[in-house]
Amino acid sequence: MQPRSNSGDNKPPKKYYSARKKFCAFCKDKVTLIDYKNHKFLENFISETGRIFPARVSGTCAYHQKQLSKAIKRARQMALIRFTEEKKRTS
Amino acid sequence: MTSRYEIGFIVTPEVNEEEVKKIIETITSIITKSKGVIENLDEWGRKKLAFPIQKNLEGYYVFVQTEVDGAVIATLERRLKQMEKVLRFITLRLDDKLKKSNKLTKRWAKIDKLRRKSMASSNEEKESEDFTESEEESDATEK
Repeated sequence: MQPRSNSGDNKPPKKYYSARKKFCAFCKDKVTLIDYKNHKFLENFISETGRIFPARVSGTCAYHQKQLSKAIKRARQMALIRFTEEKKRTS
Repeated sequence: MTSRYEIGFIVTPEVNEEEVKKIIETITSIITKSKGVIENLDEWGRKKLAFPIQKNLEGYYVFVQTEVDGAVIATLERRLKQMEKVLRFITLRLDDKLKKSNKLTKRWAKIDKLRRKSMASSNEEKESEDFTESEEESDATEK
């Protein structure tokens, strides 16, 4: 039995876009300990409303995502990072 | 058994700097009395809070890194809870994290070695034919 070849041999599938390869920001710099006190850096990994970005969005590896989420939660406890967006008075 | 800890706390902005020093002294005295070592004392000073705590918009941040017995930390936490001028506090053990980080650095060193080997071997085999394959190999080692 022949190994199943990809169907793209005759007709290469159309490429609509070439996705940029995501990489873990911490593995790149070889960060071993994510500090909760470094809140300005941690703010890159939360949305405008204060939610933690999932790993598939930010591209962090599983190991660092675990550490990161913990660090963000600790920073929130110490009022270094906000829980939610700031209140806006409408009236 | 002593291990490394990190203690951080926020003092209300209403107090003077002298009173903040008093609070720091009480905490350091508890540590030094029980044969602990204070490795680092970080005073950030007055800083704006990300959100108001008990209607306070500012806070006085202090971080202490020590090496003490675990039982002392329990007493410290009790004292910090009783202090009304301390808004928030946090205590962390750093030992297991440092161990894990050492493991990671070792693993990364291994991966680096493998990558260098593969790069060297690929360069020897085909010097200037195509770079795409050697890049793919390095990517595979990363994972």
